[in-house]
Amino acid sequence: MPAVILLDVSLSMLRPVNGSENSETTRKHLAIQGIGAFLDCLGVQSKLEFISLMTFSSFYQERCGFTRDYHLIKQELHNIEDCDKTCIETALVGVNQLILNEWGNNTACQIILITDGNPGIGPMSLKESLANISHRPANNPFPLPFVFPAKLHVVCIAPPNDTLLVKSKPLYQRLVDMCGYDGMVLIPENTLTESSVISLFQKLAEEMYTSFKGILKCGNLESKIILSPAPVPFTKVTDFDCQTQVVSDIIEVCGFIPIADVGSPMAVSRHLILPASMTNNKENVPLKMDVDTTVDDEADEGKIPSFCVLLHGALKVENMAALVTLGESWFGFVYSWADSKKKSNLMLTVLTPGSDAVPWLGDLNCLNTPDNLTPEQIGNFPVRPSEKRSYSQNGVVWIRQAGLQSDIQKILRHARKLPEKTQQFYKELNRLRKAAISLGFMELLTGLAYIFEQECTQLPGTAHPDCALQLTHAAELLRKTQNNDIKYVIIPMQTDYTTS
Amino acid sequence: MSFPFANNKMFPANHKTVFVLDHTPYFGISCESPIEFEFLKTRGPGFIPLNPISKSLWTCSVESAIEYCRIVWDLFPQGKLVRFIASDTVAHILNTWSPTQQNLNHIMNGMSLIGVPPPPPSRSVQPGLDFTVLHGLRAAIEALSECTDLQHEKRKAIAAGDDQVTLVNRCRVVCITSARDNDSMKRLEEIFQNVLQQQNKVAASSDRFLTIDHCHLVIINTFPVNIESHVSNHAVRHLSPILKTEVHSVKAPFISNKLSSLILDHYDLASTTVTGIPMKEEQNASSSANYDVEIYHSKDAHTAILRGNSPDSLAIRTVKEGLEYETVTLKWCTPRGSATSELQNCTSMHRITPVDVNSRPSLCLINFLLNGRSVMLEMPRKAGGKISSHLLASHGGEIFIHTLCTARSVLEDPPSISEGVGGRVTDYRITDFGLLIQQNRLFPLRPSYNTEKVNSISKMKARLSRHTKYWPLTISSTLIFNLKNCIDPLPSIITKERITEEEVVQCKQVIYNLISLEAKHESLHLPNTGQRSKGQKREEQYKIMWNELETLLKNNCHTENHRAVYNCLIECHKFNSEDGTIDVDQALSFVDPLGKSDSDVQRASVIRATTDSPMSPPPLASIAPPLSRNILSNRSGSIYSSTPRTLYDIFTSQDKSKQRPDFAGRSDENKIAKLYPNLKIENEWGPRGEGMEVE
Repeated sequence: MPAVILLDVSLSMLRPVNGSENSETTRKHLAIQGIGAFLDCLGVQSKLEFISLMTFSSFYQERCGFTRDYHLIKQELHNIEDCDKTCIETALVGVNQLILNEWGNNTACQIILITDGNPGIGPMSLKESLANISHRPANNPFPLPFVFPAKLHVVCIAPPNDTLLVKSKPLYQRLVDMCGYDGMVLIPENTLTESSVISLFQKLAEEMYTSFKGILKCGNLESKIILSPAPVPFTKVTDFDCQTQVVSDIIEVCGFIPIADVGSPMAVSRHLILPASMTNNKENVPLKMDVDTTVDDEADEGKIPSFCVLLHGALKVENMAALVTLGESWFGFVYSWADSKKKSNLMLTVLTPGSDAVPWLGDLNCLNTPDNLTPEQIGNFPVRPSEKRSYSQNGVVWIRQAGLQSDIQKILRHARKLPEKTQQFYKELNRLRKAAISLGFMELLTGLAYIFEQECTQLPGTAHPDCALQLTHAAELLRKTQNNDIKYVIIPMQTDYTTS
Repeated sequence: MSFPFANNKMFPANHKTVFVLDHTPYFGISCESPIEFEFLKTRGPGFIPLNPISKSLWTCSVESAIEYCRIVWDLFPQGKLVRFIASDTVAHILNTWSPTQQNLNHIMNGMSLIGVPPPPPSRSVQPGLDFTVLHGLRAAIEALSECTDLQHEKRKAIAAGDDQVTLVNRCRVVCITSARDNDSMKRLEEIFQNVLQQQNKVAASSDRFLTIDHCHLVIINTFPVNIESHVSNHAVRHLSPILKTEVHSVKAPFISNKLSSLILDHYDLASTTVTGIPMKEEQNASSSANYDVEIYHSKDAHTAILRGNSPDSLAIRTVKEGLEYETVTLKWCTPRGSATSELQNCTSMHRITPVDVNSRPSLCLINFLLNGRSVMLEMPRKAGGKISSHLLASHGGEIFIHTLCTARSVLEDPPSISEGVGGRVTDYRITDFGLLIQQNRLFPLRPSYNTEKVNSISKMKARLSRHTKYWPLTISSTLIFNLKNCIDPLPSIITKERITEEEVVQCKQVIYNLISLEAKHESLHLPNTGQRSKGQKREEQYKIMWNELETLLKNNCHTENHRAVYNCLIECHKFNSEDGTIDVDQALSFVDPLGKSDSDVQRASVIRATTDSPMSPPPLASIAPPLSRNILSNRSGSIYSSTPRTLYDIFTSQDKSKQRPDFAGRSDENKIAKLYPNLKIENEWGPRGEGMEVE
């Protein structure tokens, strides 16, 4: 998930580090070293993550937009100027803007706030901000919690026994808690040295980006895979349940469905399925790896057949998606997906947990192959609900007058075309009558009878004799109050002109 | 990283709603808002205008309450229950919490039985009869303490000792009535409060009833348009920890508008106005005018575009004219091609319903969607340009609004699959896997067979596992799957769960044919793959083929019949020790290839004799399982040396061809022998059997 490195560049960051051999070493210097180590870690284990660099003091500044080119960030770290005072609220406002503009409110993000344990002084200091949190004007709320899912880590470049840090730590913890999603406040172990800061950042990188390693299985065919980005546990809240589920590390194909039938169901998240290298277990590789050997390894691995690649190719050709299980009654779809540059990939769409995640596919646990079913049992996609929705039921709604007017007009239109439209005339008439009885709108029935009678007097001389007969017949029956039962149906008057 | 969720979302009041409709004589009066009939005004001079028609207060309240339900049940087919109670001298309960009674037809039919409110009683008759809405409210409270199916399930789980399960019974009552003044309204609320507490006492000592943890009482006070009401509105007031009330005083024709505003709040809904829908005019079919259609759906569909609070989102929100809520206006975008041909990146999906279900523009949009087409909705951007933010589409007769991802994607610019592991392999068996995909297509059960929910997914996994017992990924790593003309239909039969006797014969036929092919020294004709087949020696080809076939069959011994096919192979083809290590037999066969092929010819001819006739008995191998097992255990040795002997063995050993003279070349060192002296004759022997007609 994308991360923002939020670096404090206030003057206090320039304080020299006590006890270091090199008197030039400042907290800022250590922070930059630490960020470098963090980016190095990512470069090895999570090359696809987007990182952004923002600095803050009494104002914030976006130094590097979200990028996968970590080298760019490292370079930018050398160009950072020193500014005035620490103002954490401003920084958080900046982060909020930056992420909303880039990723919207759906993408989970992480924020690494790097500061020196000095929460600032006076107005706009962290202490002040938190003290006034309940009396904020509505147009300027405190930026936490963020409107997108976010995890905040606070890294303090300060010795653990620093007096300022001891006071500010609870404030940082409060920020982390307000943000939710269990972030951390990190402090170097024992002493503040280059190595303690670097190991702190390496630990953070591992913590933040533990990649998902699993197996994609289809019967006896399988492939070790990495999901990118790593899926996060999903909490499904319904009216009566609240359950958090974690994607199983065995993702198993249970069958195939044409893409057109799948539709576009709601996805909890989407992940690239990348075949993992089998020979080269990256966990055991030292962080500073020779670049050339990596390239060689990849070239060789490209020639080892992988089930992922086969599955991708076949799904693409067949225009199908594979239904996979991600856990107990939790499903996803695996399919071939191409980005704008036509780079094709195997994609996993994670559905909401539950076998009812896609209404038009029916109960996913009950899908089957025709070989296991009798011909009468085999249904088709889309699965239709047992009841029609109101918009396909031709129901009656007379709340707006236009609804009633058009229903009456329709009947009168048919009336003028009697006897050809006899069936339609009585069908519409009975529909209206039934609705009027249900709604207790008896006045409408007598009113309609009156309209029919008036209509008879207005008929042109060319009108078929049936017009007058049927209209009078209908008006008569509408007026009979004993017919106010919805089971009663007005039937056409039997006329026969052939015998007369 | 687990996301915190506000638990107040759980156990919402909207799970249980009771409408209490005042059915006292007062509701029989007209709402004094006559319906206009424009079309009648154009009639000729002889037309005597009709007396104005007005709905009664009862009709206004019934149609508004029913409209409320229409929206709820369209958007939430399950889990949002509504009950109706009409109140006059008694409470008339129209439906229960049972899902079978939660539909418009049931309610409409019930309403027709109840009919119009009774006429005012003449004072002298039946003085004991008391017309009041209180009967209905009392019945409503009792209804609220009854369990719904979902609550019953939870209750059972709690009773069974599952301490993970909790149950909170929150609910809502919407009462449409008419009160004289604020005092009588206040009394109504207090009585409700008392009855609620009484009911909870009853529930506490009862197995049948559930305590009401919280109730939301919404009172709509209504009256004809020509009357001033003495009841004033009041916003939500917490009468007690378990009851909050609110009062809305509205003229009867506006009950529906009021409920529209309330329903958005009750069910967390939002309104979208689809603007710029091109519609052909009936009168003027060549031109089209643009129309707007308003729809309701869950509020969550808007979160993505509104939460940023950017100037863009401000520009699309407007307060609906004459109503109290906001609508978001999005532009219709005529779809290009089919949006269903790919999986859209859809972050949420909700059912929709049109606000004005029978208006012509609504019908037009609905029918367009129900006919299988989809519509993109666009949001204009302040910075210029626009962005597709939603997709309207129907699936199985239900219409959904899909929220599309409008922000940048973290999956941007991914490495192509060809850049990773296995990406440079070019001969994957794509076509064959495509076949496997087609064989394992999933279908739903017909609804009528869907009653007993059998989990068939584990069965599907087992089936896929069976289909892939032996499945080489690439063309170059297999030989048999490239020999379709020789080997079909064996692979597709052998992976079945059960195979018939007939299919066993078919498989054996394939094996026999391969044997006879080998015997005739035919090369295995590979399709033009350009792979390893070139330059490969025929013998080696056969060796690989037999070994691979053995692997395939050995891995697919699912039933006795499967085993019969495997045994047939073991009996008919002489395998050397496992893993292709060269043993004495094999070495000899290289030294003495012709001798070996001679014996193969003999065997082949025997086989032909037993299989050519359609009347021939089933092959012996299938009816002699004990022997088969013996053969398996003796596999490294010669198959024919194994005792006990079967008829088949005896038959083979008696074969007269054994008495044939040895190969001429062996009999005398100096003699030059003619190779394949029988070749021509053999070809004339007769039909070669299926699968051999290769070029």
